[in-house]
Amino acid sequence: MTSSAVAVGPGTAPAPPPAPARPFGQADRALRRRACRVLLGSWTGHSTVPSHGLYPHQWSWDSAFIAIGLRHLSPLRAQRELETLLGAQWGDGRVPHIVFNRAVPLGAYFPSPDFWRSSTAGAAAGAPAALETSGIVQPPVHALAAWLVHRADPASSARRGFLARVYPRLVAWHRYLADRRDLGGGGLAAVVHPWEPGMDNSPCWDGPLARIEPAAADSFRRADLVHGAAADRPTDLDYGRYVRLAAEYRDHGYRDAAAPHPFAVEDPGFNALLVASEYALARIARTLGGVPDVHRERAAALTDALVERLWSPEAGQFLSRDLRADGAGRTAGQLVTARSAAGLLPLLTPDLPPAVVEALLGTVRGPHFGLGTTVRLLPSYDLRGAAFDPHRYWRGPAWFNVNWLLERGLRLHGAGQRADALAEEILRAAADSRFAEYLDPHTGAGRGARDFGWTAALALDLLARRARQAPAPVPVPAPRKDS
Amino acid sequence: MFRTACQEQLLPGATLQEKWEFAQAAGYDGIELRGKGDHHFRERLPELRGAKADGVPMPTVCVDMPHFFAAFDADRRRDALAQMTSQLSVIAELGGAGAQTPASYGMFSRRLPPFTPPRGEEEEREVLLSGLTELGEHARAEGVTLFLEPLNRYEDHMVNRLEQAVELIRAVGLDSVRIGIDSYHMNIEEADPPAAIVAAAPYIGHAQVSDSNRFQPGAGHLDWPAWLGALESAGYQGHLALECRLTPHLDPAEAVRSVPPFLARMSGAAPCGAGR
Repeated sequence: MTSSAVAVGPGTAPAPPPAPARPFGQADRALRRRACRVLLGSWTGHSTVPSHGLYPHQWSWDSAFIAIGLRHLSPLRAQRELETLLGAQWGDGRVPHIVFNRAVPLGAYFPSPDFWRSSTAGAAAGAPAALETSGIVQPPVHALAAWLVHRADPASSARRGFLARVYPRLVAWHRYLADRRDLGGGGLAAVVHPWEPGMDNSPCWDGPLARIEPAAADSFRRADLVHGAAADRPTDLDYGRYVRLAAEYRDHGYRDAAAPHPFAVEDPGFNALLVASEYALARIARTLGGVPDVHRERAAALTDALVERLWSPEAGQFLSRDLRADGAGRTAGQLVTARSAAGLLPLLTPDLPPAVVEALLGTVRGPHFGLGTTVRLLPSYDLRGAAFDPHRYWRGPAWFNVNWLLERGLRLHGAGQRADALAEEILRAAADSRFAEYLDPHTGAGRGARDFGWTAALALDLLARRARQAPAPVPVPAPRKDS
Repeated sequence: MFRTACQEQLLPGATLQEKWEFAQAAGYDGIELRGKGDHHFRERLPELRGAKADGVPMPTVCVDMPHFFAAFDADRRRDALAQMTSQLSVIAELGGAGAQTPASYGMFSRRLPPFTPPRGEEEEREVLLSGLTELGEHARAEGVTLFLEPLNRYEDHMVNRLEQAVELIRAVGLDSVRIGIDSYHMNIEEADPPAAIVAAAPYIGHAQVSDSNRFQPGAGHLDWPAWLGALESAGYQGHLALECRLTPHLDPAEAVRSVPPFLARMSGAAPCGAGR
């Protein structure tokens, strides 16, 4: 990809001009065709792989984002995507972050099924006996996805009983987070592994992870480096800590009450998605003829807890809360000062105090994230942070799902023009990078996998909205050799 | 959005002009003709020329004979080749795109007794390649295309899946031979019909549509948005030709009328407003 797509280096103001609104044209149609090809090529018959090489199984939040785009190509497949994921739900309500495809060789991905051993080690927590999954979770974006998938084709959804089938599972999933994961006792869900908030190696976890003794380097073999450049992936040291945490959780039967959870963090992105999904559950409940109040009340309580526990007026954004003490005198329950894009995602929640919204909107374009001023897509981490690395996974690169969520949040809070401009940039970057997994936020150069599932899916979603909003085209007669 | 065509026997009316009047009002963009044997199709030329002069678009012809170019019997094979050659010439004169034929239909199935065809695989391949080459060269000379239609396993034992047709077409090496896909047969034979379309994209020249139960699209359970989305993403520019039976107990005219709006709805972005 050329550097023209996102360009504008650090400190090189002035701001790029906002992308002009334009009708749905040939380039959009071509991009839609390419995105459809990615999704059709990644379909396995019952779900979608994020990427055939790097991620050859079903991932939890990938499936949700993929379903959001897939609904424009095949509402039926989008429904199935979520149904198959939720079909791997554990008895305690958790939705595992990976559902393994048994046809894929064990060595294709690490940690593999023989590491997690969910069907045996997780039996007490209700892991399915007939299939293998991981034992940790990912952000709860599924109810939001289910609602959007339903809206794409309410008739087929109703005919197939889609909402009626997924609703109890989604409720159980949220109940798991409320009952088993409120480790801080303040009403928020905690994550117990850096992979759970989805932003695996964010600098926010550097502190909480530092106290974890890494697993011995020769005790596991990474598969991600076969498909991805080492400089774009988490370090070996971090990987050793990820392995240690997962192994300990497994060795405690994945039972949250029994596991020591040396890593326990309240993440604003994870909880903001939970709020958005509670509101989606309210809509689903109402559509099914049920009572939405319980979900609205829960969403309101979560929003209050989010603001009370994670809002930092000084930072002008939400921060993570480390629920554990480190051995160096730092007490438990401190806010992590590192600034992650996750701290801006509470813009997805509708009932924030106006002052919080205003501050967040300022932070989005301020010096730390520079959206629309120094970069065209939101970076995953503070542009000015000491740990910023434009290439390394969640330590700086711009990700399409985060930007799609932010676009939604901007629109929700009345910043429609900024949302439109961001949507344009997302589409341009998706096209130029061949649906890259993530991008250097300064140059726009694609990193990681290409033809990445949620990148194609979310581009498809933005294209669909653009097609609906575009002025009706002047009809051009199709060339016909037969008349 | 795709252009649609309807096979002539499904349309009410005594003449092609009357049928076109109905088809046009129902939202179709053309009529797919049926090519009977014994040079019946060629003998219709005066009628077809008249229809063309009256502006009836006839983009394709689909063979309608008791034997086909890969028949076991050499005489029938020769006759089928002669008929197809003639049909290609006629559709070329009408300004159409091409003629569609399977390798055979109703001759043999490996899934029904006696299970083993009387001809060895090598000989079958030779028959297929020589037939496709002969017809493809004639099609090229006429400026049209021969569309090879894979049929389901119960109707033909030689070409059932798109990948088999692709392999034969590559071996023949003529751009004037392409695949004529059929949603109904694909529904039986392809593990993932949309993926099969994407994989065979450059070789697809024509598309016929009917639902999972062989009735008109909308009467069965095919995943039409995915099927049509794959065809769109494959860059397909041809017609969707309705070749089907019609749901019993439904007014036939109404069943035929229901198809263009159904296909348009299914080939849009999402069938309904995919709200946020």
